[in-house]
Amino acid sequence: MASAYNPIYTDVPEKDVFALHFLQTLSNLRTQNSFSSPDNKTSDRVKKIKKAAYVSMARAAGGTNRLWSRSLLHQAAKRNNKNVRFLRRKRRVTWLMRRRSNRGDPIEDVAAERLRNLVPGGGGMETSKLMEETAHYIKCLSMQVKVMQCLVDGLSPK
Amino acid sequence: MDNELIMNTELHPPPEIAAHFEQPSCSSPMLNWPLMNSNLSQYSPPQDCFTWEKSTEQQQKQSIFDSALSSLVSSPTPSNSNFSGGVGGGDGFVIRELIGKLGNVGNSSATPMSSPPPMMNRTTPLTEFSGDPGFAERAARFSCFGSQSFNGRTNSSLPVNNNGKIVNSGKLTRVASTPALNGFVSPMVPAGKFSRKRKSMTKGKSKENPLPTASPAPSFTKTAEEKGGKRRRREDEKEDNTKAPEPPKDYIHVRARRGQATDSHSLAERVRREKIGERMKLLEDLVPGCNKVTGKALMLDEIINYVQSLQRQVEFLSMKLSSVNDTRLDFNVDALVSKDVMIPSSSNRLHEAGLQAESLSHHSYNNNSQLHTNVSSSNMMLQSPVNSLETSTLASSFTHLPTLTQFTDSISQYQMFSQEDLQSIVGMGVAHNPNHESQNMKIEL
Repeated sequence: MASAYNPIYTDVPEKDVFALHFLQTLSNLRTQNSFSSPDNKTSDRVKKIKKAAYVSMARAAGGTNRLWSRSLLHQAAKRNNKNVRFLRRKRRVTWLMRRRSNRGDPIEDVAAERLRNLVPGGGGMETSKLMEETAHYIKCLSMQVKVMQCLVDGLSPK
Repeated sequence: MDNELIMNTELHPPPEIAAHFEQPSCSSPMLNWPLMNSNLSQYSPPQDCFTWEKSTEQQQKQSIFDSALSSLVSSPTPSNSNFSGGVGGGDGFVIRELIGKLGNVGNSSATPMSSPPPMMNRTTPLTEFSGDPGFAERAARFSCFGSQSFNGRTNSSLPVNNNGKIVNSGKLTRVASTPALNGFVSPMVPAGKFSRKRKSMTKGKSKENPLPTASPAPSFTKTAEEKGGKRRRREDEKEDNTKAPEPPKDYIHVRARRGQATDSHSLAERVRREKIGERMKLLEDLVPGCNKVTGKALMLDEIINYVQSLQRQVEFLSMKLSSVNDTRLDFNVDALVSKDVMIPSSSNRLHEAGLQAESLSHHSYNNNSQLHTNVSSSNMMLQSPVNSLETSTLASSFTHLPTLTQFTDSISQYQMFSQEDLQSIVGMGVAHNPNHESQNMKIEL
């Protein structure tokens, strides 16, 4: 399907890698004192777990190699410097100006805007790049969902 | 004109000319000619011809022809040249007459002397054929009717300077003179692009800026799958067309398609659109239920919905996770911490992880004999990666991943643990964790 001069590669690691990373981050969560205390509100805990899930997914999917994962990690590192350490990469010059010159169809642009809001890091991408990232993101998300489903199923009381 | 022939020529020309006049000509004088021929099998005196001409005069052009004839008659031309011209002109006479007719139609206000020049083209020394601007076009349009004969006439009868005059008058005349006349097939083709690509017209006619037909700088030529049937000539010209305004910043080669605009912007647009289309196809496979939906907008909506649903699922599952268990999760996590450490590629870490795993297993053995059987099963899994650690190769370290899969998928087998057991394990897990947490952190990144 990909043309010869630019093969689109959206390989995603196996489920194990995702599981590993997720459990890893969960373990880090465990060690936090604020987490294990019962007087913690559920919503906070949920948020933390959710964040842990996303961060682990980003790491499992390729760390800083992918645009969306990189931006995700960056956001997480900004918010909470304790849990996530994000080493800054050497920034490469991106064709940001390209996006300005994107005078595509209005229909396409509207949908692309929505996508950009959904996919992390979509703000600075051209539409074609955005779609690549979306594809990879969808794959990783589905993998993460599977892992979490397994965990929940396994740990839920019968 | 008929009279002119009769006057100037001998006996035999008329039959020839009559034969030539079988060609499809719509002008009335032409149709009248066979009649005239039958009538004038013998040479009637010129006055009769003149009268006949005048009698048949219906349209304006007749009068114009009359004037032309009179001028011809009056001028002292050698019969030979006229004869040859006449014979020669007979072939092309239809055409010239048509051209003349067109000329009359074109410039109705023109003086009678202006329209005869097309007619008198065949006799060079007479005519001061200054470039009639309309003539070139008309000649071009109508030379297809009798292209062969016209060409023959132009090549043989018309002297060089006359031809040169034709050339100077308009670029289209070059087309008229060439026997190929490819261009006249092309009016069917969309004129915007194809008209430029006529073989004869490449050098002269250019609607765009003059193209440097020289070196191919990185222009836009696409892969073969994108094109309809195109000729090589056109491709080269298109390359020249597109490369002139386009700075060679992008080395993707694009070839413009048949019947489409070839300026750089539209080409880039098309490349972009095709890229997006490719990726849309890719996304289609990922998103379930996208086959029924067609069109970019709907597809994108579907994709957005799918992404949103996945994100919501993650949130829901995380809620569930947080509510369902803390301790159980701790156990699993702790048991697997050593495994986690094995994933990174640094080999020295692997050794530490191996030590970690062993210490964990030792503790489990020491603390609780009840858990021994259960934990040992998990430790069996741990020991296999430990064995792999001995070799300290990355490939071997990944062999434990299948076991991890088994672990995660068959987590239910550990539900037999009671709460106290788990807490004890948690206790020993916690004891180990703070030591290695920093290492874990580094390894993660």
